Amino acid sequence: MDSHKATTQVEKRDDTFVERSSTRIWQEVASEDNPYIAEHNRCHGYDLIDLVQKRSFVDVLYLLFRGELPTSEQSQLLEQLLIAQINPGPRHPATQAAMNAGVSRASYSHILPIALSVQGGEHLGGSEVEKAMRYFQQSINQQPNVLAKQLLETVQRPSEADWHIVPGFGSRYGGIDTFQNKIVSCLTELTASGPALNWGSQFAEQLQHHDLGWLSTGVAAAVLTDLGFPPRAGAGMFQIISAPGLLAHGLEMTTQPVTAMPFLDEDHYVIENQ
Amino acid sequence: MSSKTNKQTDTSYWDERRGLFRTSKGGWIIGEAVYNHGYSMMDDLVGHKTFFQVLVLNVTGRLAEKNLADWLEASFICLSWPDPRIWCNKVGTLAGTMQCSPAAAVSVGILAADSRMYASGALVAGAEFIIEAVEKKKAGLSVEEIVNAELEKKAKRSAAKPVIMGYARPIATGDERVIAMERVTKTLGFEIGEHLSLAYEIDSYLQNNYKESINMLGYCVAFMVDQAFCNKEITRLFSTWVNSGVHACYAEARDRAPESFLPLRCDDIEYQGKIERPVPNIT
Repeated sequence: MDSHKATTQVEKRDDTFVERSSTRIWQEVASEDNPYIAEHNRCHGYDLIDLVQKRSFVDVLYLLFRGELPTSEQSQLLEQLLIAQINPGPRHPATQAAMNAGVSRASYSHILPIALSVQGGEHLGGSEVEKAMRYFQQSINQQPNVLAKQLLETVQRPSEADWHIVPGFGSRYGGIDTFQNKIVSCLTELTASGPALNWGSQFAEQLQHHDLGWLSTGVAAAVLTDLGFPPRAGAGMFQIISAPGLLAHGLEMTTQPVTAMPFLDEDHYVIENQ
Repeated sequence: MSSKTNKQTDTSYWDERRGLFRTSKGGWIIGEAVYNHGYSMMDDLVGHKTFFQVLVLNVTGRLAEKNLADWLEASFICLSWPDPRIWCNKVGTLAGTMQCSPAAAVSVGILAADSRMYASGALVAGAEFIIEAVEKKKAGLSVEEIVNAELEKKAKRSAAKPVIMGYARPIATGDERVIAMERVTKTLGFEIGEHLSLAYEIDSYLQNNYKESINMLGYCVAFMVDQAFCNKEITRLFSTWVNSGVHACYAEARDRAPESFLPLRCDDIEYQGKIERPVPNIT
């Protein structure tokens, strides 16, 4: 086969590309004297200035992604999620990334993108939220107790570290993340709490004797599912939700000396097999 | 549901790692050396090995032969187009026109290329395909059967335009980069292994039946699997594949006036959404 050559000629395909992009989200109406300046901005038909004056940030956030303003109940559910997950906490790897960037004098404008990239991962990050939302869609019509029993019998527990038996549910440092239960208790009391939160609560209850339960990603996924967000929005929404806390911790370190975070000494940084 | 558990959780796995990091990669022993997989960076690597040899070492733990490192470098050149119409490059250009830092621009360009459609993000699927294809061939399947099985997996797409990762490409048919890399492969003295050999058979089948051919990604993953790299290693090695082209696009945009790259008038975006409506009062 060594005589083979990729012989196909390089030719442009006859794809037809649009002359201009389109959007259903946002309308910019040009001013009369400058076609580049928007005189009016409308979000799904609503004038942005009217929204500024009449609606909350949470309402407009929902509107951006869902195309309609939320009911007050839906707005309340989303707002409580936004508060509950506003900060992954200073030990979280995404926050640690922000703090490391801050203390090592990375540009202020880089702190949030750095942290959000870490917050996008498949473990307790945005990618897990997306998968958890798909899991809710697939599983919500199954009996949570039957499914949990089946999973516990068939899915192999990893030999070390935590076990996410399905996206959004599992162990945290070997046990149940009990704080997530507190959040879920608040959320399930709300009128807009829906089938995903309800199903997830029953599912988590079936897992608790195995030291497994709700994870933060599962809680976010359940709320976003109940609010009608598509799974593809899950990763980014999770990043948006945690962005304030990540940035705050990163910025806090920018005024500290580089010694304000640990730098392992030789006794605690062990180079093996060299 | 209770938020408290009655027993003490076994946290020994985490306790053992708290404040302690064990590495098999290496590190800096201050005043002595910087070690990298047993090599002293400054004594054994700097000035003796190429950047791509050390890249392979860092990713895999194995120091690559120089010809393989040179092959990798050539493949990176192939992805270094200074053309801002390419999606990842356009992101770099947009960062340039907004006066972002080069690090931000190149980082986001690389992120953009972590795509299911092209470049580094498509490597996993490309490598999975050719690895499975060789296994299927060993199990007795013909090239036609291998191709059809893959196309059936993606039956939602038209069979008239085969969607097999590593074959065909956006915008154009054929791939000039494959021709260039074939020359490099030969010059550097590499033999064609079983994965690249099958990749070529599939290429011939697709050319004859669909007028589509192997692309840069398909060529590279087949070559790399033949060189004993696993899927995970390939994905990591090529993760920054596009960085040089993004640099070019960023630099040009950064050196020009802000927002001078393809400025858009309001009516250059077609609005297709809801017509103007009043904001309802909160009930």
